Amino acid sequence: MVRILWALVLALAAGPAMAGIPAEQEDCLGCHSDPSETFDLPSGEKLSLGIDQDVFAKSVHGEALRCTECHTDKTSDHATGELKFKSRREVTRAYYEQCKGCHFANYTKTLDGVHFAVMAKGNDKAALCVDCHGAHDISRPGQPRTRISRMCQSCHAREAEVYAKSVHGRAAESSGDVPVCTDCHRAHDTTDPRDGALAMRTPEICGRCHTDEKLMSRYGLSTKVVDTYLADFHGMASSLSHGKKKGPGVRLAAVCTDCHGVHDIQKADDPASGVMSANLQKTCGKCHEGASESFPKAWLSHYEPTPQKAPIVWGVMLFYKLMIPFMVGGLVLQIALHLWRVVVNR
Amino acid sequence: MSNHIVRFNLQQRIEHFVTMTTFALLCLTGLPQKFYTTGWAHVLVSAFGGVDATRWIHRITGLVLAASTVVHFTNGILVMLSKKQYFSMVPTKKDFEDAILQLRYYLGMTEQHPMYDRYTYKEKFEYWGLVVGNVIMVLTGFILFFPVTAASIIPGQFIPAAKVAHSNEGLMAFFVITIWHIFNAHLNPDVFPFDASIFTGKVSRERYLHEHPLELARLEGGLPPDALGQHAAPAHGTRRNEVG
Repeated sequence: MVRILWALVLALAAGPAMAGIPAEQEDCLGCHSDPSETFDLPSGEKLSLGIDQDVFAKSVHGEALRCTECHTDKTSDHATGELKFKSRREVTRAYYEQCKGCHFANYTKTLDGVHFAVMAKGNDKAALCVDCHGAHDISRPGQPRTRISRMCQSCHAREAEVYAKSVHGRAAESSGDVPVCTDCHRAHDTTDPRDGALAMRTPEICGRCHTDEKLMSRYGLSTKVVDTYLADFHGMASSLSHGKKKGPGVRLAAVCTDCHGVHDIQKADDPASGVMSANLQKTCGKCHEGASESFPKAWLSHYEPTPQKAPIVWGVMLFYKLMIPFMVGGLVLQIALHLWRVVVNR
Repeated sequence: MSNHIVRFNLQQRIEHFVTMTTFALLCLTGLPQKFYTTGWAHVLVSAFGGVDATRWIHRITGLVLAASTVVHFTNGILVMLSKKQYFSMVPTKKDFEDAILQLRYYLGMTEQHPMYDRYTYKEKFEYWGLVVGNVIMVLTGFILFFPVTAASIIPGQFIPAAKVAHSNEGLMAFFVITIWHIFNAHLNPDVFPFDASIFTGKVSRERYLHEHPLELARLEGGLPPDALGQHAAPAHGTRRNEVG
């Protein structure tokens, strides 16, 4: 019953709003339309009190929300000349809580994210909803897609700069095929990369694109990279390392990013790439101290062992492919004959 | 005349026990690494305390088995040099004849069962299989244990080849033991459910007469009635203790 009443109230309230923006209906803009009007916060910062009506109208909420749906504490007599906030950040933190009223699923995801975790530890700068999405100017996320990386850049400038020079970053401006920050790091439940958990997921994360036949054929790239990785030492070790955390004395098995780089990934034949053949000895040496010149040959460079690419490995594989069935078959046959004779003798 | 024949001396029983336990542990810590995508592999690896712990247990157990192999052969060579004994494990022409006769017997082509000496061709096959397998496993195991050192001595491609050899040879050994050895030592109707001789050292005289008539005859200073037929006792049939 209460719900139906609510729906009725909402319908009545929203009804006339369809004509224009609901924000106008409440008369808020009567006071808050001058962009130069500011409030001096105790922190010394100036809090802008003006709202650009055009910007808000174009935002995703422009035709849907009234001011008080986010600014729930505001009544018609709130112009007392006083604000309980000490800084702009306090204002942001106070109002971000309003988002969950409608966007509960994504809000819940953020509780598992690294930004929430560092905020809980007292980092005031940790990103909140509005830091990425904006406030009065919220637009559909990922439009354009490159906006995502630019958003992250405002805090993570160093990483963004490295990324922009990478094979992915260089193509990001013109192509939707390459990953932006959130494709690997996720948007709301952003993983903390520091304990290695994100790295351990890279075979799956990178594999999402790099095993996609259609996508990779556009660039002439192999889709066997994940399978060949998993078939080798590192893939086996990382597959068996789920839940293992990086720490003092604990080294995780090499994953995609350990050789190819993280934000600085380049094409494998780029002189700057860690996996370019001339650089391999050094790259292997990061973990395998004292790696000799022939050591990188122990890794088959994502090739499946064939008579051309790795004749010795291929030969040994073939030998056992024949030997094991021959051996097991022979022994089983002899056991069967033995038992048959026992039965006959009885 | 005793009712029992001492088939295995204490050293041999200890060697078998060491091989048995290390082999089992090597399978438990090695096979999950080969079949790392399966659920049981993850259960086993976490039971051993994670992939690093599993690997260290595997390496140390492998070193124990390698050491026991070295002890076994050093001992064998010393005994051989002292000329008191001969290697009863050395394959002879008779073993091949025995194998053919045994198969003919199984197929019902003959009623004549091979007369075995101390070790049957089946036992020798398993013994030498284990020896060759051990050599392959120890060599490839060391390559995988010290890949950087290995690559400075041999071409890098030998390292993934060693991995293929190590994991497949290990799997084959696992099959040979679970199929062949378990059959011969447990499920074979002659010994079912359990041939305890490798633990007690003793085998009844009755069974010995049936299974190793040539050796029994030698031990007791005579030859069994029909041993002088086409399967005569080997020429080196002096009385001796067991080796191998």
